[in-house]
Amino acid sequence: MTTSLTAGAAAPVAAAPRLAARTRGLRKVYRSAVAVDGVDMDVPEGAVVGMLGPNGSGKTTTIRMLLGLVRPTEGEAELLGQPMPAASETSLPHVGALVEGPGFHPFLSGRDNLLRLAAAEPLLGRRQLDGAVSDALERVGLTDAGHRAYRGYSLGMKQRLGLAGALLAPRRFVVLDEPTNGLDPAGTREVRRVIADLHADGVTVLVSSHLLAEVEATCTHVVVLNQGTVVAQGELDELLESNNPSLLVSTPNGARAVDALRDNRIPARLAPDGVRVDLSANTASSVIETLVRADVAVEEARRERTGLEDLFARLTQAAPGEPEDVPLHRVPELMS
Amino acid sequence: MTTTTAPISVEWRLPRARVALPRLLLAELRWVFRRPRTLVVLGLLAVIPVIIGIALSFADGGPAGDPNPPVFVTAASSALALPIGALTVLLSLLLPLTVANAGGDAIAGEQANGTLRGWLLAPVSRGRLLLVKAFGVAAVALVAASLVATTGILTGLVSNGTDGLFTLSGTTLPLLDALGRVAIAAGWVTVQLWALGAVALAISASTEHPMLVLATVLGGVIVSQVLLLFPALDWLHPFLLPASWDALINLMRDPIWWDALGEGILRAACYLVIGLSLAYARVLTSDG
Repeated sequence: MTTSLTAGAAAPVAAAPRLAARTRGLRKVYRSAVAVDGVDMDVPEGAVVGMLGPNGSGKTTTIRMLLGLVRPTEGEAELLGQPMPAASETSLPHVGALVEGPGFHPFLSGRDNLLRLAAAEPLLGRRQLDGAVSDALERVGLTDAGHRAYRGYSLGMKQRLGLAGALLAPRRFVVLDEPTNGLDPAGTREVRRVIADLHADGVTVLVSSHLLAEVEATCTHVVVLNQGTVVAQGELDELLESNNPSLLVSTPNGARAVDALRDNRIPARLAPDGVRVDLSANTASSVIETLVRADVAVEEARRERTGLEDLFARLTQAAPGEPEDVPLHRVPELMS
Repeated sequence: MTTTTAPISVEWRLPRARVALPRLLLAELRWVFRRPRTLVVLGLLAVIPVIIGIALSFADGGPAGDPNPPVFVTAASSALALPIGALTVLLSLLLPLTVANAGGDAIAGEQANGTLRGWLLAPVSRGRLLLVKAFGVAAVALVAASLVATTGILTGLVSNGTDGLFTLSGTTLPLLDALGRVAIAAGWVTVQLWALGAVALAISASTEHPMLVLATVLGGVIVSQVLLLFPALDWLHPFLLPASWDALINLMRDPIWWDALGEGILRAACYLVIGLSLAYARVLTSDG
């Protein structure tokens, strides 16, 4: 079941933001295997949306349907308000994408590869091609390697060139499928910087990744997929809070605080660093009010947040309660 | 469950933009003729008529008075025969290989490289994509046939001079007339290669392995030529593209025997239409 939090806790706003991408009931069946099933996804304009999910959860298939590369078996996809794939000629010029890794011709240089791509970009005039390619190369730090044949590029350089391809023309929406694959920490930081720059320019970004720390650092919104369906989506902060609604209260007299709260039927327990209060049925202010009424000195109260990692593990693990699993953000390291 | 069908408050207004077709065609040509494989095969094609010419200059002339002498025997003494003979010989294997190679790289090879996606996302519509790809393959075919014809006639003229331009019928042609016939031969061979190219594109659109395209097209050409050897299968022969390939020698008669040549064009046109239709259907429905 889709747990959607976009509208749930959000304060009422004057105008709903436009959606850069929107899917409804998206389903894709390959022969007998269901790759994606009933995906309802919203990508608000201006957001940086992280798409999370274990391998084979349908991230790439969803992206490919969104970009019109694959026809959905059922359901609809909209990109910049245009139905896909029917209106791809209207929407795609404004969309940059790096899907399923970089794809380039080995015998051409990085620069010539980009020139070939740029030739097909409707938003670039004939005279702008050279400049656009130079800019894109500079943006990903490949200016010096631009003249070398793609054949000799390292994995990280290939990935950067793919990123440059997505940034060739002025974009309104950039889709990056695993952009940090094969990049070293410096490269990863650069991708983070590129995403931040795009965000600052008001460009909407959809980035799929299984590097949870990466997503947590760069994204404003998160969509979590598991086994072809969306299991959670919404603003990152809300998701993290809603996942673990508890308040950590530091107080010198913890025992009294717990008693006072329990008297008011507020679940609470003593923790090493204070009193942990369950917030699923109570607001933070009512908790503090109760404590103050009971003459408990409150030194500090803060909402407790667990990382994205715990949330992700909880949402995507078939059998919960196996805390000994390898944290997902380490899987790529272990595999490489 | 909370539904989140956020109303789309402001319509997206996106200016429509489209790349001019010549820009795409030019980009395709630049790519096709920088591919090392294409260049190697074209180089080979350019050298082969020269090698044949050198070999023939050491050979004796054919038996006098034979109304249908083997074309290469004639080539030893006629500058006209060398380009047409070279085209005939190369049409049975190396020229089809060139085109099948180009056709395989055009879609299947790009798909395997992951480069087709880049243009589809730019976006280049699938119909246009096939048009551009077909143009690229057609250009390779034209260049390949012209190259053979050009180096062939040059070699022939160098070794025999301009006065030895006699036909199988015994007449001698003026130089311009002979050049015209070589041009017709190159054009006719180009059309045959386009037919093969269309079939190659259809296969190319259905697979991710360019080698499969090469194997299928060359296999088809060879099997067809073998089938043509059996008179018992003559009911099948009109459907085989290589059935007309012997007709090229009719360009060396005076006047030219057009019947078989025309039939060859018709046969090629059928292959062309069927091949391109299949390719179009596949390109439209395949996943990018």
